[in-house]
Amino acid sequence: MEQVIDQETIDLLLIEQLQDSPAPLLKILHAFHERDGYISETALRAVSKSMGVPLADLFGTVTFYHHFSQQENGFNKPRVCTGPVCRLNGGQECLSALAEQGATSMPCAGRCDEPVPVLIGNEQWVGDAQGKLTRKSTPLPPVNPGKIEECVFAQIREPERGTLPGYRRTGGYEGLTRAVKEMTPKDVIEHIKASKLAGRGGAAFPTGVKWQAVADAPGEPKSIVCNADEGEPGCFKDRAIMDYDPFAVIEGMTLAGYATGAARGIIYLRYEYPETNLLLEKAIADAYAANLLGKNILGSNFNFELYVRRGGGAYICGEEGSLLNSLEGKHPFPRNRPPFPVTHGFENLPTAVNNVETLAAAAQIMRHEPEWYTKLGLNGHAGTKVVSLSGDVQRPGNYEVPFGLPLKTLLYDWAGGPKPGRTFQAVTMAGLSGGFLAGEDLETATIDEPSIRSKGSMLGAAGMIVLDDSRDMIAVTHNAMEFFAHESCGKCFPCRLGTQRLTERLSGEGPMQLQVWLEEVNDMNAAMKSFSACGLGMAAPLVIESLIKQFPARVQEFVEKR
Amino acid sequence: MADNELTMKLDGKDVPFTQGETIFDIAQRNDVFIPTLCFDPRLKPFGSCRMCAVEVKGIKNPVASCTTAATAGMEVNTVTEVLEKHRKTLLEMVVSENRELEVSPLRGVASQELSILVEKYGAKTGRFKGAQSGHSRLDDKNPFILRDYDLCISCYRCVRVCAEQEGDYAISVMNRGFHTQITTEFNLELRSSACTFCGQCVQTCPTGALADKKALRHA
Ligand SMILES: Cc1cc2nc3c(=O)[nH]c(=O)nc-3n(C[C@H](O)[C@H](O)[C@H](O)COP(=O)(O)O)c2cc1C
Ligand code: SF4
Ligand code: SF4
Ligand code: FES
Ligand code: FES
Repeated sequence: MEQVIDQETIDLLLIEQLQDSPAPLLKILHAFHERDGYISETALRAVSKSMGVPLADLFGTVTFYHHFSQQENGFNKPRVCTGPVCRLNGGQECLSALAEQGATSMPCAGRCDEPVPVLIGNEQWVGDAQGKLTRKSTPLPPVNPGKIEECVFAQIREPERGTLPGYRRTGGYEGLTRAVKEMTPKDVIEHIKASKLAGRGGAAFPTGVKWQAVADAPGEPKSIVCNADEGEPGCFKDRAIMDYDPFAVIEGMTLAGYATGAARGIIYLRYEYPETNLLLEKAIADAYAANLLGKNILGSNFNFELYVRRGGGAYICGEEGSLLNSLEGKHPFPRNRPPFPVTHGFENLPTAVNNVETLAAAAQIMRHEPEWYTKLGLNGHAGTKVVSLSGDVQRPGNYEVPFGLPLKTLLYDWAGGPKPGRTFQAVTMAGLSGGFLAGEDLETATIDEPSIRSKGSMLGAAGMIVLDDSRDMIAVTHNAMEFFAHESCGKCFPCRLGTQRLTERLSGEGPMQLQVWLEEVNDMNAAMKSFSACGLGMAAPLVIESLIKQFPARVQEFVEKR
Repeated sequence: MADNELTMKLDGKDVPFTQGETIFDIAQRNDVFIPTLCFDPRLKPFGSCRMCAVEVKGIKNPVASCTTAATAGMEVNTVTEVLEKHRKTLLEMVVSENRELEVSPLRGVASQELSILVEKYGAKTGRFKGAQSGHSRLDDKNPFILRDYDLCISCYRCVRVCAEQEGDYAISVMNRGFHTQITTEFNLELRSSACTFCGQCVQTCPTGALADKKALRHA
């Protein structure tokens, strides 16, 4: 007798296949998105039924993610970056040129050093203003122009560094081997503490202290989560690290697992990097095959399992609480703090959430003595930071700088200064989250958190977008605020409302008198900065604050001459 | 008094508390008023409206008192000039997203919460003018619940009461940021959702965005 399997049975089988590994929901949603070309009602009903997630919740959560399409064939429609750097480089024009193919825009997709990224299905393309598309790999970080010793990028330009044999040939896994064979987990934590490595994802929390807290916290299994969401406009460093040095991230995570007693790790990768996803999956498989992941790693009794989960397109999912909710299949609002992830993280168990660069640095630091790393910094600052430099500058790219390096050394000596006939007008900090520095500050700032904070901004994850004198700072600020409004999760009132109202005020709406305009803006800024529930709403006002502070005449003209 | 009794300082006064109590719980017990919009005593604290933020000595930013557990020796101020100013600004921002502020009390028991606070703070309506959020679903033909989301302030009390108290999970939040909207599965009418028309959401709504259609008929 002929047997007919109905669609529902097929869907349920697909879900069943993926359901058993940690954090299954995202993986299942991607499977349907790719299989069907969109996330259909039928698919959501099947997921709801077999995973026991209420349908209304599941539907609402899927709408949260920018890239999950609920329209037929939506998955394959081009998405064109119209982020702040691509706007300067034909992003809008590229979008119009591809309009016939159903193209839509996406926020900064992490290729600001060589725009304009275009995503079609799971392929990463580069487009121009005419809509012409080419395939290009991720730009390799330029050779360090300061001839300064590097940490994270020390071997990244070695041929075949991205393969396991190439990685091992160039010092890879020396650190983990040393840790597992010669050191206790406690020794590893002390080593990282002594190196003064701090989080490179923006908050600069001391990494050794974080690992210690996870090691000390009760509850099993513990987790290491690598934050590879890299959603901050103007940041593209994690992509370069993962594409050219994936094993450094894997080794760093394994090391963190050994130090904290975590038995599993998850890389949370942003939607916009599907090809990075493939590279990571391949590297993980190779590491398993070489007994560098899995059971009894390097002959020890240490076990560590590693997974990759791809996001759905939401900047806020880089915020660790939101990220953890996303992994757990919940609505990705940030979590209330305390408790912190170190005690109540993934599945409410102790979890170290660390940025890609942090983990890659940790792997390098284990090959050396802690002082080696500390001494890489200048003027008493410990270590190095990868800066993603983009925009109106001769040589954009990822540069690993010693902390304490004068900003102008990076801008002029390393990156070649402004384009011919131009001068620098402003440079954004922390991507867009730090607002921008301009004028005198560009001359005097050094690349370290205390210096940049003293100027009312922050270094954060060190995305820097250079804007020359041809740019209208009102338009730049409006574009930035539009991004924050687009990405506000909508949980807390000051940010949900403030990002919208500030965007409106920067687009030419709002009070006509300067004084009233300023009072409204300043009141909202102040309320957002102190009342918002997470870093997005707290930081969003900085960009309009720097506009008001650095370009008061332009603001006056903009408000009064409408 | 037991030796191990925990105390904290609330507006300069030493007050005892038990492990796990939030600052807001303690304030209530001591008749200290803290404004709220997303709070409902029957629900888990959510921490979204931020109206209840208070200053804690040693912590840079104010914390949401409804979600923050007290710790021994904590020094909290619930009313300062700065806090009151931000609360007023916030209320003015909230009012600006809606069609109107004053609604009939017949809409529901909590329906006057927002307008009472606005009055108390002397918050100006008409400030921060801009786009309105939320779209009313007057097309929803169910005979019980009016879904007038033009008046919604996205506190998600309705969503939480439906899940936490009723276990129905009929409604949820769709989209992000200013475009968040209370929805059902696939944005259908309530009759096509898991809604049981218990009316709990109506009774917790602080703006009258949800209303009892039957009661309104008697208005
Ligand atoms: C809105 C927002 C977005 C964030 N995005 C990222 C991100 O994309 N990548 C990242 O590593 N950290 C991001 N963070 C910081 C994380 O919350 C967290 O501090 C970090 O991942 C911790 O790792 P680290 O200690 O190694 O830096 C973000 C924070 C906020 C508030
Ligand atoms: S600050 Fe913005 S992004 Fe963060 S919780 Fe509030 S609404 Fe969400
Ligand atoms: S409908 Fe009412 S209870 Fe529900 S989110 Fe809106 S304002 Fe809050
Ligand atoms: S890649 Fe387009 S702005 Fe960053
Ligand atoms: S009552 Fe505490 S945040 Fe709303």
